[in-house]
Amino acid sequence: MAEVFRITPMEAAGAPPRLSSLAAWSERHFKWLLVAPAVLLILALSIYPLVFSLVVSFINYDFQVPGHDFVGLRNFERVIADPVARRSLVITAFLSGTSVIIEFGLGLLVALAMVKSFRGRGLVMSILIVPLFISPVIVGQAWTLMLQRPFGPTNYVLSQILGQEVTISWLTQAPWLYISLILADVWQWTPFMFVILLAGLTAIPNNLYEAAELDGVGAWDAFRWITLPHLMPMILLALTFRLLDAIRMFDTIFIMTGGGPGTQTYTATYYLYTIGFAQFNLSQATAGSWLFLIFTALVVILLVRRLLKVEPV
Amino acid sequence: MAARGSSFLSQRRLASIGRYLLLGFFLLFVLAPIYWMFNTSIKPSSDYLAIPPVWFPDEPTLVHYEAALFTYRGLQGIINSLIVSLSATALSALLGTLMAYSLARFNTGGQHLSFWVLSQRFLPPVGIVLPVFLIYRNLGIHDTHFGLIMAYTVFTLPVSVWMMFAYFRQMPKSMEEAALVDGWTRWQAFWRVAVPLAAPAIVAAAVFAFIACWTEFFFALVLTGRTAFTLPTVFRSFIGFQGAQYGEAAALAIVSLGPSIVLGVLAQKHLVRGLTLGAVRG
Repeated sequence: MAEVFRITPMEAAGAPPRLSSLAAWSERHFKWLLVAPAVLLILALSIYPLVFSLVVSFINYDFQVPGHDFVGLRNFERVIADPVARRSLVITAFLSGTSVIIEFGLGLLVALAMVKSFRGRGLVMSILIVPLFISPVIVGQAWTLMLQRPFGPTNYVLSQILGQEVTISWLTQAPWLYISLILADVWQWTPFMFVILLAGLTAIPNNLYEAAELDGVGAWDAFRWITLPHLMPMILLALTFRLLDAIRMFDTIFIMTGGGPGTQTYTATYYLYTIGFAQFNLSQATAGSWLFLIFTALVVILLVRRLLKVEPV
Repeated sequence: MAARGSSFLSQRRLASIGRYLLLGFFLLFVLAPIYWMFNTSIKPSSDYLAIPPVWFPDEPTLVHYEAALFTYRGLQGIINSLIVSLSATALSALLGTLMAYSLARFNTGGQHLSFWVLSQRFLPPVGIVLPVFLIYRNLGIHDTHFGLIMAYTVFTLPVSVWMMFAYFRQMPKSMEEAALVDGWTRWQAFWRVAVPLAAPAIVAAAVFAFIACWTEFFFALVLTGRTAFTLPTVFRSFIGFQGAQYGEAAALAIVSLGPSIVLGVLAQKHLVRGLTLGAVRG
């Protein structure tokens, strides 16, 4: 096999075969040729669109308004002045923050429960990670089926447990609709926290706990002084990754509440989608998405860079 | 001493009971919606509003599956999803492996280039999808497989690049160096030595790219219409009809769960790397 690719005596003697200048060129620029296709594709479909959207946000590109006049910062001002936009940012922060905190707490508990091996642990593990492989649209659909009155069984089960008639409109009435959306998010993404935290817990050397037990350290103190500090890099990583995904929340809302009633469950993404594709105020939508982008970029720069540098790989 | 020992023991037992209770409840929580969806998918419409709810239908039926696949064009959605997801996965794995190898072996572009790729992962899709929609319309590739494949390739590249980047960094160079000493070109050392050695990791990265494409909704919602629509976007058709389409929605959901769950569970050894873009080794 190797024989085929060996340099022939002729090549070594400096009598290159045809195409060798191209071959030599591609050899010289090997490392750049490898990155070129991916970089070009990202430039074409991510960087160019971003620049294009910045242009669109400074002109009027809206389908109802003729012409593409330069309008300065007017599109940005319109978004900032829109109470629905500001409210959608608050809703985004509230829904993502609450979901991520619950997912972290629950995920940590489940991870702690799963650290030690027991019979059937492999099977339990396989079941627990299933929500990660389901489309958020289907998660939204599944919880709609669970909660929707009068079809879903949730109210019936609650009535049986509480011993009194429960008639909650889970998907149309505040505060229940927020709880429903958080429930769907928690269902899907608690496994994310749990899987990462479990990996972190497994990596803590067992002899630390053995030494602590010999010294008579209680379970709580061992958790506080051994587990938490060792787990901290993983906790930060899991929280950051999850939070950056959670602030995009869109799919479950699209299916479960449609942003409604009214604009009560508009998240930032849902708001921008609506003004872009339902009202066709494309310039206002791109201006808004740039503001949202800057907001996200700040979080990325502050959290992700620092995190991945610290992370001992 | 004896008293302390026994209290310690009961504390342990208590902790272990609590552990199983927690896991039991959480398993129930995870499985309940999936079971109810399956139950809904085989339930005759006449059972929908029964009180108490029908936990398993007396006469299971497949009518909802038939309606979901044919009346609601679910089958076309599955075909489109397969075309788009498989193509984008292949492209993403190929381009991702090429780039990751260069980043890992030659530190190409320093940290800036690798973090630039990573930062793509955290861009809010809504910021990209609006201008891409306009560009696609101008180019005439809105609502085509090609357009969505390109978008999905870019969308999955950060994960492919970073998973492979982490893998190549911890893979010894000695084999490739031996090949170079033997007179192979860098390209040959890459294709015939590094790629085969990294094959399991490439497959794992591809599995996660496929799952991401198969379950993606937002790009597909905006960038496709009546022709190239993917499976998740079919669920739009079931919104707003009070009650009548529950069975169809559930049936389509059950059908689309299969591929991604099977692949995901098979690749669970690599799950931690997949979720953290290679930052954490599972």
